[in-house]
Amino acid sequence: MIDFTSTPIILIALIGSVGMLLPVINIIRKDRGSTSFYGAIALVTLIVAAGFIAYQIFTDNVASPAIFSEDVLVDDTFGSFFAIVVLIVAILTVVGSFSYMRNQSYPAVYFSLILLSSIGMILVAYSTDLVMLLVAWELMSIPTYVLAGFMKKNPSSNEAAIKYFLFGALSTAIIVYGISIAYGITGSTNIGEVIVGFASLDASMVPLGLLATALFIAGFGFKMGLVPFHMWLPDAYEGAPPTIAALLAAGTKKVGFAAALRVIVMGTIALNLEWTFALGIIAIMTMTVGNLAAIMQKNLSRMLAYSSIGHAGYILIGLSIAPFSSIGIQGSLFHIFNHAVMKGAAFIAVAAIAITLASTHLDKIKGLGRRMPITSIGLVVSLLALAGVPPLNGFWSKLMLFGSAIDAGSVVAWAPYLAVAGVLNSALSLAYYGWIIRKMYFEGEDEKRVKEPKSIIAVMIFSVIFMVGIGVYPDPFIQFAGTAVPSLNISSMLSP
Amino acid sequence: MADATFLALSVLTIGSAIAALELRSLIYASIALMVTLGGVAGFFLLLDSPFVAMFQLAVYVGSIAVLILFTVMLVRRELIFTKIEDPRRRYAGVGLMLIIMLGIGAVIINSGLNTITTEEPPVDYRDIGKELLLYYWPALILMALILASSVIGALMLARREDVKGEQRTN
Repeated sequence: MIDFTSTPIILIALIGSVGMLLPVINIIRKDRGSTSFYGAIALVTLIVAAGFIAYQIFTDNVASPAIFSEDVLVDDTFGSFFAIVVLIVAILTVVGSFSYMRNQSYPAVYFSLILLSSIGMILVAYSTDLVMLLVAWELMSIPTYVLAGFMKKNPSSNEAAIKYFLFGALSTAIIVYGISIAYGITGSTNIGEVIVGFASLDASMVPLGLLATALFIAGFGFKMGLVPFHMWLPDAYEGAPPTIAALLAAGTKKVGFAAALRVIVMGTIALNLEWTFALGIIAIMTMTVGNLAAIMQKNLSRMLAYSSIGHAGYILIGLSIAPFSSIGIQGSLFHIFNHAVMKGAAFIAVAAIAITLASTHLDKIKGLGRRMPITSIGLVVSLLALAGVPPLNGFWSKLMLFGSAIDAGSVVAWAPYLAVAGVLNSALSLAYYGWIIRKMYFEGEDEKRVKEPKSIIAVMIFSVIFMVGIGVYPDPFIQFAGTAVPSLNISSMLSP
Repeated sequence: MADATFLALSVLTIGSAIAALELRSLIYASIALMVTLGGVAGFFLLLDSPFVAMFQLAVYVGSIAVLILFTVMLVRRELIFTKIEDPRRRYAGVGLMLIIMLGIGAVIINSGLNTITTEEPPVDYRDIGKELLLYYWPALILMALILASSVIGALMLARREDVKGEQRTN
């Protein structure tokens, strides 16, 4: 039985109870609380949670990264890494929402759902049991369906919510089907036991193992936005409130990779498949489709949504060459960490634009650099970081990913092509990021400076320091990502 | 015997599931949904899982479906959606579904799954309870949080803003 004082259990108690209490406080105060009151409670909770995880890591109370555990949860550095990523994204979202949610109804419900979704995301990363993984996956998803449709009077927000909900429900159904097959052929829901079972499967059962893995790829692929499971994503990100789009693009999407690493990568290694090539093809398709479609967009949110599809492709490079290069997964994790902040900051800048200009259409942002200088700087830095321009953080993680692909070239001949595709796509992405920057600084004339939302300025300043800081001195963060890389050796799991 | 029961149950379950989706009347559709959920309970009985079957009946047929029926009967049922139908999409959807079903079915039938026979007795209820409380307990807590977040979210979405506070209490 898992220890009551282990990190995930304490996080459930802390974030879960505050998340449940916020609406109750709202009722006791008879709907009188302001956005900043509930936002402050949520913010303090998230900061305390992040501090607690950091404390556990620094005092070495966290186990080394493991796929295997006898329990439903494991308190390891892999989970802690994703928990830190999720908490940073949640903190950015909550701070950005101080301005975005001002004068909107139901702030208590809004922040409560953000907290509940965050704890779901955190626990997906800590799960070592398929049932636990599914339950955490649902806790992550259900609040975000409501959050996507939070602007009840806005038809596009409603459309986003219903589309996201239908595809989310479909992806959950696919995952449940995969879990039922995995349980049927191995007799356990514990991921470690399932993988050991996969490794010693009778030849006649191997097709079922393949089917289960394919269902997992499809199910998790929907959330990760992998091509061809990406079609719902631009509509949902465009229609949802931009702060929630930040949570979706930077949070739920990243957590999909945590689940994929524990289940899909390990499962395919156990089944001894030529799976890496297939993942490589999905990676190239995902980044190319994402970036090509992004060029054609006229709306900032939609463009960022497609660019996040492209980034899912970059992250997948590291997973697809995991067995051939020691830095593949480390690069993926580092890029997940960076992309969470870059994309989170970009969407929150979009939220600021939506508040002041009431539109995120590209024609409306002409001369934005003079109207909203701080938001613009934040947006520019995050766009350049997304494109991978040195010396920003995105450059280092892309360098690691593409470098690992070239490194794997000595084992598999096709791996360097992933790096080539990645570099070409980065160049392509610079085209549309550059277009946004051109609109903001080199078009329009004589715009007057307008008042920028204060809380979003805070997010922008933090993100710029973060992106430039990691860009200048990436070592500790690369090492942090390195400590979270789990061992891919199955035989070591057979004798725990 | 088991095969015939299985086939009959399958036809009943899938047929009423299609009816639940296709019927224009919400009341008939929700009754068809009840039949589907009952059919699933039948599958669990066939699979020697009376415990799950009982829960399926009590929770899904007994409460959820009845709740849906009540909701349907209590709210105004004017058509708020305009129906846009594209027959090509419909056929494409049906075709895609058949391909996926046949594909998955072929994999399952050709695998070694049908050679497995087991003489083990049905699972003891006490074992299920023990597993839930000793192994799956964090998942149970999370399920409570899921229910809470669903209720919080649903109340927010369902709350009408055009009605003033005093009217609501009346």
